Amino acid sequence: MSDNLSIADRRSKNRREEENTIHDNKLISEIEALKIEFEKTTDKLIKDVRRQDKIMARSDKRQQKEYDELQRKFAEVEALQKEIEETQREVVFTMGAIGESRSKETGNHVKRVAQYSKVLALYYGMSEKEAEMLKQASPMHDIGKVAIPDAILNKPGRFNQEERLIMDTHAQLGYDMLKASNRPLLKLAATVAYEHHEKYNGKGYPQGLKGEEIHIGGRITALADVFDALGSDRVYKKAWDDERIFNLFKEERGEHFDPNLIDIFFEHLDEFLSIRDSLKDL
Amino acid sequence: MNNLIIEETKYTPSINFDTQKGVFELIGKSYPENTFDFYKPMMDLVEEYFDGEEQEITTINMEIIYFNSSSSKLFFDFFDLVEEAHNDGKTIEINWIYDEENDSALEAGEDFQEDFENLKFNLVKK
Repeated sequence: MSDNLSIADRRSKNRREEENTIHDNKLISEIEALKIEFEKTTDKLIKDVRRQDKIMARSDKRQQKEYDELQRKFAEVEALQKEIEETQREVVFTMGAIGESRSKETGNHVKRVAQYSKVLALYYGMSEKEAEMLKQASPMHDIGKVAIPDAILNKPGRFNQEERLIMDTHAQLGYDMLKASNRPLLKLAATVAYEHHEKYNGKGYPQGLKGEEIHIGGRITALADVFDALGSDRVYKKAWDDERIFNLFKEERGEHFDPNLIDIFFEHLDEFLSIRDSLKDL
Repeated sequence: MNNLIIEETKYTPSINFDTQKGVFELIGKSYPENTFDFYKPMMDLVEEYFDGEEQEITTINMEIIYFNSSSSKLFFDFFDLVEEAHNDGKTIEINWIYDEENDSALEAGEDFQEDFENLKFNLVKK
């Protein structure tokens, strides 16, 4: 025989080749199954990744909207806050003006006293916030006067003793009117109404408080109010000229008025005169 | 089959799944700290429910005011389950309820509606 392989060998070889083919097919189908699984899995992964991206994009968009909404609300709150503060300021001034209206004091008197009070407070050492609060509280110091009868309130001459006592009740009355509120501003206003007729030497009314016993708001308003009253025409008297006013203040330093405040007043006289000038009665 | 009732909290919605009536409700905000943990009972229930325990018609009412990103993913997974059930021939209706003023909620509903075209997904104005 000229073949390289015997029949037996050839058969054996064929068999092995067949086996390999079967083996190949099995492997191939396993691989193909894997391929399918792999594609399924990667498809799912891709879908998940795409979904994540989508979620991120939408989330970003939503966050921007929420940010805008927040900004809008902040602006609203700020505007409202401003509105409230402005309203409070005006109501307070109006109340002060009402308190003075029956005795024919002008709205500018109220503004002047408020402004003097703030300046005195700042130089005395109060914070901007405290001084501003006093500026708003002090105009209400004479609110008790609304309960004083016309005949007394607008009497052109001097009071007799009885009339004097009645007039002096406006301090207590003002306090009674304002004390009900717990708002810091109105509590301060109540104190100022109560104590703006106290004197540094203890000879004031209604409580006869002395020196630092008197709330600083009371001491300041006392000075501011008298300064303005003396410099204006009233039912019962004409305006004093400046020299007369300054002499009185010097005399009353430590008596009627807190000496520190009198000193501050003279130290910054030009400022007070400038206020008086800019808020002159028309 | 048991129902699922979870009360609303500051950050998580109320969940009320009545398996007897086939009415599922999700109401409130979704900002859970661990989204997977929070929604697990719900997801388990839904899977079990659609595994032969479902009613003829299932109604899903979702009134989600705000939700964080992980909740978004969770809702996707939830709708996947629903879609699977739908493909199995079950009848399911989804109502996405939103407030007129809440643009975000409307947009979110529209997005999900688009993502799951095959489902009966209704946008319902409150």
